[in-house]
Amino acid sequence: MKTTVKFQPRRRAILGAAITAAGLALSGCGASATPAGGGGNVELNFVFWGDANRAKMTEAALRIFEEKNPGITVKTEYQDSGPYADKLATRFAGGNPPDVLNMANRSLLEYAQRGTLADLKSMPELNLDEVPESVLSRGTVDGKLYGLATGVTTIGIVVNKTITDQAGVAIPDDKTWSWEDYAKFATEVTQKTGGKVYGAGYDVATETGPIMLARQRGEDFYTEDNKLGVSEETIRDWFQYSVDLRKAGGYPPAGFFEQIGGSPAQSYLAKGTVASQIIPINNFKGYNDAVEGEVVLLRIPGETSAERRGYSADPSMLWSIAAKSKHPKEAAKLLNFLVNDSDGAAETLTQRGVPINPEVAQSITPKLSTDDKTFVDMMAAIQEDDLPPAYVYPKGASVVADTLKQLATEVEFGRISPADAAKTFLEKSNAAITK
Amino acid sequence: MSVLTKQAPGAAATLAAPGDAKPRRGPSRRTNQPSGYLFLLPWFVGMLFTIIPFFASLYLAFTDYNLFTEPNFVGLANFQAMFEDPRLLQSLKVTFIYTFVSVPISLAAALLIALVLNRGLQGLSIYRSVYYLPSLLGGSVAIVMLWRYIFGNDGIVNGFLGFFGIQGPAWVTDPEFALSTLIVLNVWTFGSPMVIFLAGLRQVPAMYYEAASIDGASKWRQFRSITLPLISPIIFFNLIMQLIGSFQTFTQGYVMSGGTGGPADSTLFYNLYLYQKGFTEFEMGYASAMAWLLLMIIAIFTAINFIASKFWVFYDN
Repeated sequence: MKTTVKFQPRRRAILGAAITAAGLALSGCGASATPAGGGGNVELNFVFWGDANRAKMTEAALRIFEEKNPGITVKTEYQDSGPYADKLATRFAGGNPPDVLNMANRSLLEYAQRGTLADLKSMPELNLDEVPESVLSRGTVDGKLYGLATGVTTIGIVVNKTITDQAGVAIPDDKTWSWEDYAKFATEVTQKTGGKVYGAGYDVATETGPIMLARQRGEDFYTEDNKLGVSEETIRDWFQYSVDLRKAGGYPPAGFFEQIGGSPAQSYLAKGTVASQIIPINNFKGYNDAVEGEVVLLRIPGETSAERRGYSADPSMLWSIAAKSKHPKEAAKLLNFLVNDSDGAAETLTQRGVPINPEVAQSITPKLSTDDKTFVDMMAAIQEDDLPPAYVYPKGASVVADTLKQLATEVEFGRISPADAAKTFLEKSNAAITK
Repeated sequence: MSVLTKQAPGAAATLAAPGDAKPRRGPSRRTNQPSGYLFLLPWFVGMLFTIIPFFASLYLAFTDYNLFTEPNFVGLANFQAMFEDPRLLQSLKVTFIYTFVSVPISLAAALLIALVLNRGLQGLSIYRSVYYLPSLLGGSVAIVMLWRYIFGNDGIVNGFLGFFGIQGPAWVTDPEFALSTLIVLNVWTFGSPMVIFLAGLRQVPAMYYEAASIDGASKWRQFRSITLPLISPIIFFNLIMQLIGSFQTFTQGYVMSGGTGGPADSTLFYNLYLYQKGFTEFEMGYASAMAWLLLMIIAIFTAINFIASKFWVFYDN
């Protein structure tokens, strides 16, 4: 700004140039001035993905952390998951990573194997005594812990019971139902509602569905040695199932779904055009709030009719600390707070899944709403069974996810047969993983 | 970008040419130089932010840079890999179809509207603004989102078709139709070439038309023999600019498909794929190589146009 004043008495031409130059300098300053902490105070940069509601809950927890840890302030940033992933990559590439961050299961290895994340086991400020081994294993790469689950969740089917009741269709027992039962149920809903509501509206293109089907059949979609373990038959059957269901009328016609993903309020279940959907079950409350009428939470079909259980308690997402964090001690303190502090968890509740420290999970139970309690109870009931182990997603998992999405569309519009799609899926996925 | 900036002054000169007799030369040219450079200073400063990444990307194109670790020199490996990359070919196909369908249509629409507006309508400035507005908005995220709704299953377009008893397709989600909605969006933004055409049409001296109508030439004949040749440099300029812009399309494809280039890669524009390679697959070396391939493609097409222009562009000076 000073330069502008000094140049002012001169000719107008210079003034114009100076203002522009000063403007540029200012915008440059603005970007680099952020890390100014001030007198002994440590400022942590903490980033996560989610919506405004999640951000509000997280901020409330962080204020408690700051009270308990004088001298540390936490500056947060959050976005939707897509832009978040892009921004995170650029920040790491630019050598300016955040201290504590949200990591997606499918990106963990990409980051970990490139040495960008800190080994959480080497941090004495972080107490992992209460965290079960099954949770730790999902963030462990080559014996080092790079990601810690924010909480555990899994997928389930939500059904709009008000619609099925009106149509006079009984919901089968979800503890024992098979995939055929689900198909029959969905087709009946479409018929009895006169085609106004489609019985099934799950997303074929998200990998959690075929992961579950593979596990039920005794295959590991992703294996212990970070490879693709799913068979061509399973992928073919996964595609074929939706093709058959569409033909029978239980699943909407090609092109029906224009907005896959998004918030519960934008979902087709909330619009009342489908009667059931597959969701990550920690979102159950959101769906029941968004849908007019009563929504019930069911297990995925095929759990008792196939070879083994398909369910696993999965990290909804992970926490990581950047290897280049300038304040690793404080970052570890924050992570410790997020995992082990009941007061903080009382603010975030089951927003990111059931807390991984059982004591913390126990302590928040009285504070949960009925819907969140339904989710926690189902999670606990599932874990009572003997579940097969699940593993870290391999490098290239994001390409696998994209490939599945692409092929699901090709199958949807009949441009490729399920069998050919399965063959292509394995070829492309293996190429991406072994690269 | 460099092609773009180089082209602009030349085109401006041709625009002015029919009006002025000869460019002025005199002592004032030299004395104004210092303040001229001062005016250019911000541009020079800004240019640094272009030139440095420009050469950095040239270097990275020959490395295996993955954003996180130090780049290693790999020679031509990235360029070789391109020949075996089916998605790269798909992205080229999408970009070429998009360019070669939408550019001629939008130029024709721009010229047509410009001709109509040039007939001396009352309230010309209002019409001009109305037609120009879409080109300011067309690349914006909000308009692309709006487009999704217009062409959605319950959108205006299918509602209109339904009025005639036609069951419209799933414009946005069907791989057969998704690109066509984006082509329509691009054609709709014909405003900026239209404004340039309008400026060009105003420069055509009225006396030519007077003479021609005395000789009994029809309106069509006048258009073909007077208007077209005299505005051919402007058509040429618009063509080059539209081609370059169209090859570099990104926002429309990104927003329409939520960044995937879907459905089934049918809107996978070249730049969108480049972006995916760089920022979701972390293959920044490959992405840089792709950027240079695009530059070469654009350069070749521009060169072809310049050579071809000798046969159809008429400079009246």
